[in-house]
Amino acid sequence: MMKPSSAQPLQPVLSADPVVQDAAGRAFADLAAGWFRSETSPSAGATHQQRRQTLLQAVIDLGFADALPSPEAREAWADAAVIVRAQARAAAPIDMAVLLVTGDRPASIAQDPELYECPASIDEPGNANAASALALGRCLQICAAMEAALDLSLQYVQDRKQFGRPLAKFQVIQHSLAIAAEEVAASAALTDLALACMAREGCTSARLPALLDAAAVVLGHAIDVVCDASHQVHGAIGFTREYALHRHSLNLLRWRDHLHLLRGGELRCAERLGDAALQAQGVWRTVTVLMKSGDSHD
Amino acid sequence: MNFRFPVFDLPAEAEALRIEVREFIAGEQRAGLWRRGGDFATHYDPAFSQRLGARGWLGMTWPRQYGGHERSMLERLVLSEELIAANAPIAAHWIADRQSGPLLLRYGSEAQRREFLPRIARGEIFFSIGMSEPDSGSDLASVRTRATKVDGGWRINGQKVWTTFAHLNHYAIVLARTGDAGESRHEGLSQFIVDLKAGDLKVRPIVNMAGQREFNEVIFTDNLVPDERLVGEPGNGWRQVTSELAYERSGPERYLSCIRLVEATLQCARSNPTPRIREALGRMSAKLMALRSMSISVAALLQNGEMPNLEAALIKDLGNAFEREQIGVFRGLRTELDQPSAEYLAALAETTLYAPSWTLRGGTREILRGIVARGLGLR
Repeated sequence: MMKPSSAQPLQPVLSADPVVQDAAGRAFADLAAGWFRSETSPSAGATHQQRRQTLLQAVIDLGFADALPSPEAREAWADAAVIVRAQARAAAPIDMAVLLVTGDRPASIAQDPELYECPASIDEPGNANAASALALGRCLQICAAMEAALDLSLQYVQDRKQFGRPLAKFQVIQHSLAIAAEEVAASAALTDLALACMAREGCTSARLPALLDAAAVVLGHAIDVVCDASHQVHGAIGFTREYALHRHSLNLLRWRDHLHLLRGGELRCAERLGDAALQAQGVWRTVTVLMKSGDSHD
Repeated sequence: MNFRFPVFDLPAEAEALRIEVREFIAGEQRAGLWRRGGDFATHYDPAFSQRLGARGWLGMTWPRQYGGHERSMLERLVLSEELIAANAPIAAHWIADRQSGPLLLRYGSEAQRREFLPRIARGEIFFSIGMSEPDSGSDLASVRTRATKVDGGWRINGQKVWTTFAHLNHYAIVLARTGDAGESRHEGLSQFIVDLKAGDLKVRPIVNMAGQREFNEVIFTDNLVPDERLVGEPGNGWRQVTSELAYERSGPERYLSCIRLVEATLQCARSNPTPRIREALGRMSAKLMALRSMSISVAALLQNGEMPNLEAALIKDLGNAFEREQIGVFRGLRTELDQPSAEYLAALAETTLYAPSWTLRGGTREILRGIVARGLGLR
């Protein structure tokens, strides 16, 4: 092929370098990462309500409640997101025993509504920006956990032998995990789109809610595909407390519920996107507008 | 996971082009020059292709010296997606512009570039793909059409099948065996530019299940192809065929085939958009944004000189599954519409009849998932 016509290579919107460059960025990243950690680890003596209040305050303290104040802060937010993603991937600070099980009694979503109560309904004025930041954080965590579940599965099918060969040699296994990987890729693409939007245009960007709605829909489906494929290829070991897969799959289910609640429900996300297309000149025109980066809100 | 789809912005000139293309399409439609329908493999209109050529919208990214316009891959993407979203008649030039031209640019001789590229860019000549055979579909390396070296050229014997628009196009790029397959089975293959208008080939129609003649079978009986029509190096055919799959697998034609039905549904539903319709339109939009972002990413990587073939295979499989799924969803909405329009019914019939081809053309879903699995380290 001839050399591409443009001399300057195109630059991706988000930095591919996960290293946080400057002290301010690191401080910001610690704050954001700490916030996510506190939300997923039990703080002694705190009720759910108190923890939620703490979180909400943290979001406001972090500057998410309004548009991120400066380009530097937005850069830092994007960097922090990388760290948040890495932590969710490791699933290290999360003990599902505390989160999903109280004593010996399993607490289902229905039995413990408070755990899943929406900390900031997007319908309440003033909470929308914080809810957007939270939702995007959830999307990042979900993408990371899906990648982690898939990576575990990829390793497992190469280690585990049945019928005299590794599971990875069976085409049906290959295709099942390929489909899961495609869903993970689509989820990450959409999440990065929302992340790029927030990092540059701030929480008050007019198109951010639609991108988050889209992410809530696409990630919601992807979680089913990834959890189904991962648990299926693992067999019984994946269903145990002694093996790591459950940490990721349970996190995914929990974070999905929270993400959808933050957006007012998955169905509402889809309907709002549909309304946008109906009120404009159709699906295609709407999609091209929503995906077009706007001016910075500075 | 070894995939990456970094987010890229469409540059200002690409968004400016979008406005230009939309105005052009609106003008064409106002003038009644064509009606919405079909897709990149079916809606054939040489005059339309020539109008695009006159605007500099064919061979957009190629060097000027070969009739190109040296615009970016992202501008080409914007043009493509707007034409496809409007179901414009792009089938005549599509393969030449997307595939044959870039192949000649990369592997063709200087003489071949000078002879063919400016004519492709003007919309004067169109190309078919001569790869599949009666016994070679997904297993492309098994092709049996043979080219034998003779004085001054190559003598070709064999049979190609599913050769779209071979009865209308001017040339086909034919993959033939010229030597031993070797252990990899990928050696000994070569590509030739075959003149479809010379009158020495047997081109027979194959009518598809929609009742249309787009396919043909092309039969070679001692047909002589001169030396100067060999593309690249003899024996290098496999690498040439597979090296640029990112171009043909990552574009909007792989996830927008259902768009006519979707927009027709939306138009009918404006008077009474039920929750089910709103939900379906929203779900469609959400996945479409994900696919489009990935597609823009691949176009930008191509512009930067990378060759993301794996990412492209992933987009095609995901996109094909998506566009096929939408047919079922939007068929189900028929009884939600107060009055299904003629356009809705036509779009439903057309997409339903053609949907089986979407997950076959350009790489079956089984082949694509195998490529993705290899990228995951499973093969």
